[in-house]
Amino acid sequence: MFKRSIMFAVILLVISILTFASTTVELWSWRTQDAEVWEKVEKRLKEEGKDIEIDFRAFMPTEYDAKVQLALQGGKGPDLMYTRRLPSSSVEGMINAELLKSLNGLVDFKDFNDSILKSVTYEGKKYGVPFAVQVVGIFYNEEIFNSLGIKEPKTWDELLQISEKIKSSGIDPFFVPGKEAWALTMQHAMCGVSVLGPDFIKALENGETDFLDPKWVDLNTRLLELKKYYQNGFVGNDTNDMNAAFAFGQAAMTFYGIWGVQMWRELNPDLKVGYFMVPPLTASEESYSYVYMDGAIGLTSNADQRDAAIEVLKFAATPEFGSIFSGVTLNIPAVSNAVMPDDPILNEANEAAGHASPYIYWVGSVFTTGSPSLYGDVLSPGMQELNAEKITPLEFAQKAQNALSQWFVPLRKRLGLE
Amino acid sequence: MTCKKRYILLFALPALILYSVFVIYPFIYSFSLSFYSWAGAGEREFVGFKNFQMIMSGPFAEEFRNALSHNILFFIVNAIFELGIAFLIAVVLTTKIWGKRFFQTIVYLPNVISMVLVGFIWSMLLNPQWGLINHLLKSMGLNDLAKPWLGLEETALGTVILVNVWRNIGFYVLVFLASILGISKDLFDAAYIDGASTWRVIRKIIFPLTVPTFQTLGILLFIGSFNIFDVVFALEGVQAGPYRSTDVLGTFFYRTAFGGMGSSEQDYGLGAAVVVIIFLLVLPLSMFYSYLIDKKSRVR
Repeated sequence: MFKRSIMFAVILLVISILTFASTTVELWSWRTQDAEVWEKVEKRLKEEGKDIEIDFRAFMPTEYDAKVQLALQGGKGPDLMYTRRLPSSSVEGMINAELLKSLNGLVDFKDFNDSILKSVTYEGKKYGVPFAVQVVGIFYNEEIFNSLGIKEPKTWDELLQISEKIKSSGIDPFFVPGKEAWALTMQHAMCGVSVLGPDFIKALENGETDFLDPKWVDLNTRLLELKKYYQNGFVGNDTNDMNAAFAFGQAAMTFYGIWGVQMWRELNPDLKVGYFMVPPLTASEESYSYVYMDGAIGLTSNADQRDAAIEVLKFAATPEFGSIFSGVTLNIPAVSNAVMPDDPILNEANEAAGHASPYIYWVGSVFTTGSPSLYGDVLSPGMQELNAEKITPLEFAQKAQNALSQWFVPLRKRLGLE
Repeated sequence: MTCKKRYILLFALPALILYSVFVIYPFIYSFSLSFYSWAGAGEREFVGFKNFQMIMSGPFAEEFRNALSHNILFFIVNAIFELGIAFLIAVVLTTKIWGKRFFQTIVYLPNVISMVLVGFIWSMLLNPQWGLINHLLKSMGLNDLAKPWLGLEETALGTVILVNVWRNIGFYVLVFLASILGISKDLFDAAYIDGASTWRVIRKIIFPLTVPTFQTLGILLFIGSFNIFDVVFALEGVQAGPYRSTDVLGTFFYRTAFGGMGSSEQDYGLGAAVVVIIFLLVLPLSMFYSYLIDKKSRVR
């Protein structure tokens, strides 16, 4: 009997040691592709003697924000969470409700540049460790370009010329996921930074011009003219279709973001992808890339394992994390001095990130901070209407003017509404 | 209170508590939230009727009317297809048709598939380039009919509605089947002995005796049509493309409450106002419909 009791006690002890020895930090995200990153981080932390387990959970991007907010308000939810960039009414709301904690004094941000830190700073305090910088532009199949003797275009007209050449060879010049309105909006925005130029977008921000400016209408017209180079039935295709079609060479180019490379490579490891910024109208003008800080990792009010969570955040702010992150996802890490894989496409995108337009009007812009938003309420449905030729380029511009003039103060002042 | 009433109350209490917690409280909460502007966290700002004004006559009025018209269309088309065709299928399945057990199972099968899977299956089938539907149409020489069904304004809503019909018709068939099988066999025997045709039996016996089933299913369909969300979400996402041509009040609510891809503004107060409006539309109409049916039944 005594022996049995001893054995039982030993078993209990072993079980409790196994159960409670390591600390589990729960981390929620909208990025399923990051699971392997956190497995590697966990392994690295263990090598440093920090017995921390990371329970990474990813949710659908469209449901993520509501899910995490409701969980945290109910006193549940993760220790750490992926947060959207600032300014954002929902992130600001979470900060004001103290659901997101300031990281000042807890994490060393010396390896981040100021422009990236602006996206996590609210009232002078930092609320997240930025993880990725996204670069969007035109990605192309190098083999198709080489076989047709095509070079990266330097002007908009050259873009049309190479599209014509690709089309006459029997390949779709562009694969456009026209069913997904956000992707069309992204296309508008990445073309806008080069075709309109940063000075025009700055003038739009300051209320020195508006959406009925001939330049804006002209951009809409050019986007509509590109339609003949898209795959047949593009209005019914989504990004999954695009990934498969582009990865297997059914189309030569696609308007997308650097995050797509990971998927294309998974589908077709032999694919050789190139990148170029949308070319400007004339050779004397410059091309710009559309770059934005994707998000950050924040400390929540529900951090039961606060110390362990802070250790994870400290590591996420190091160049070593950036190297791991970049190695797995082929995204550009937000942290400086990270060693990125020597991958031509990543190098190209990184180079393009150095030539980002300082003024933008899609993700991360002032035009999406009110309702109706230029992104969700105007460009998303509007691009589909334009492609379907339900509205003219001018009517599309008028929609933007009508929507933004309801709340965007510089435009309201310009129009004499305030 | 009599002992019997106390017992009734005691037994009803668990259901009442659950109903209060999960239905009454959320509704009252939503109702109060509709007078505030709230991003989901932080301070709420009292805005009075501003959210309702924004939806009914402000910047969201056009989207609201558009979504509402699609809900009405959903109800009309669903009523015709789900009730009409389900009734006819049920009648056929009550006959001595060969393989009827098999068809009874097959017709109900889509109903057990989750809507996410339904969305996936139909997205594949309707893919413009490699979807089975377009391949079939092309192989039959109907090239003009091979379209991006979910990407064109003219076809998207109709396609979504038909997928919804495909998914749900089994349930309606099952209910009609139960209702028809409940009709006394003597009535059919008597009718056939008197020389009635099958069509006359359907018109004069089966249809009148299944009218209460039509009425019940009609109310369910009405409520369901105004709360529709999942099928649109699965096939077209919350943007309800192309350019809101498949938008319904459910997706409109989702966008206003939760934003889009994390970049759009989100306002739970605005979303709550949409919910209150849906409720104010559905409740009186359902009550009026029930009243009419009740009145007719009494007359009968």
